[in-house]
Amino acid sequence: MNHLNMEQLVSLRAPGTEPGIAEARRHVETCELCRAELDRLHQRVARMKALPSLQPPRDAWPAIRQRMMDDRHRRRTRWMGIAGTALAASVLLTVAVSDFARPEPLSATAAIDTAKAQSRALESTILRYNPEARVTDGRTAGIAAELEDRIADLDRQLEVTQLREGGARDQQLLQLWRERVNLLDALVDVHVTKASNVGL
Amino acid sequence: MADTLVIANADAVLARARTGDQQAMEALYRAFEVPVYNLARRICRTAEDAEDVLQETFFEMCRSIGQFRGEGSLWGWIRTIASSKALMRLRRNKYRDTDELEDEISPTRKEDAHLRMDLESALERLGETSRAVVWLHDVEGYTHEEIAEMMGKTVSFSKSQLARAHVRLRRWLGEEAAI
Repeated sequence: MNHLNMEQLVSLRAPGTEPGIAEARRHVETCELCRAELDRLHQRVARMKALPSLQPPRDAWPAIRQRMMDDRHRRRTRWMGIAGTALAASVLLTVAVSDFARPEPLSATAAIDTAKAQSRALESTILRYNPEARVTDGRTAGIAAELEDRIADLDRQLEVTQLREGGARDQQLLQLWRERVNLLDALVDVHVTKASNVGL
Repeated sequence: MADTLVIANADAVLARARTGDQQAMEALYRAFEVPVYNLARRICRTAEDAEDVLQETFFEMCRSIGQFRGEGSLWGWIRTIASSKALMRLRRNKYRDTDELEDEISPTRKEDAHLRMDLESALERLGETSRAVVWLHDVEGYTHEEIAEMMGKTVSFSKSQLARAHVRLRRWLGEEAAI
């Protein structure tokens, strides 16, 4: 057997059953040069792990705390806007449900566009309802806050997924957009109908 | 390394952080700021980028701490946020991998025969992607599958980047094999 290349040497460090690994292991046992190379690899990694710790040049906490406060303020005022109606929410919900039930398959891109439009429409409904200007009980506020957190989390996932490449990206985006529509539906329910039991 | 970090009354601090208690969040920041900065600094090109990643990581941690269910270690969770943020920064900045550029200009790299760098300089000289992979795999202990997932690449991409990084490190550290 020829001497091992770096990819084979690197793969020997992990327990594995990939094709060729057993043969490579046997080779290392008998080949002094490859064994020395593997030792050097181990030593290099150990030296990397032992590199001195780097200290942040300045305290980042004050800036993080300020961002948190700004973020909370932004979220509190997120839904400020024009007054809205429960009727609009019901209509939109019906449109959303009937659209998802449409029998003919849409391309992923078209389905994403539809979900985006539904998402925008539901957000407008909530903006029109203006929940911040209304009296809300603690339980409703808590459920709404959790839904808003989950929507914010989804937005971050959308941001990350948008940057990805590959064929699966559109399907992942579609799934995330649909989840967003469902969460917004639930948020409309919470605000507009004050549903006491949203399916969290 | 950070797995062994000890926070006094860790469960209580975590519980308070989940309710939005800023003192508890600051305690978590103080406990993990150095390992997060180190990870970011090893992956990012500049100290400024690493500082941004540090800030973004803990901002994210504070926003999402309620979603941490305690199924893995807290450090593991924070480290994943930090790694994602650092990799996103690389992609956003669209750095050109310097070693790839140099390979195009001088495929034989004859000057490397005279090089004998220290490990810090050699790591610094690696391209962004290679350095990220070697650090995440060899130091932070991520698997190729996890790295591929975080980078949006394939497992074989991660493996080949790691091998390529080690070939370069070996050369620049003056550890060329006789084989």
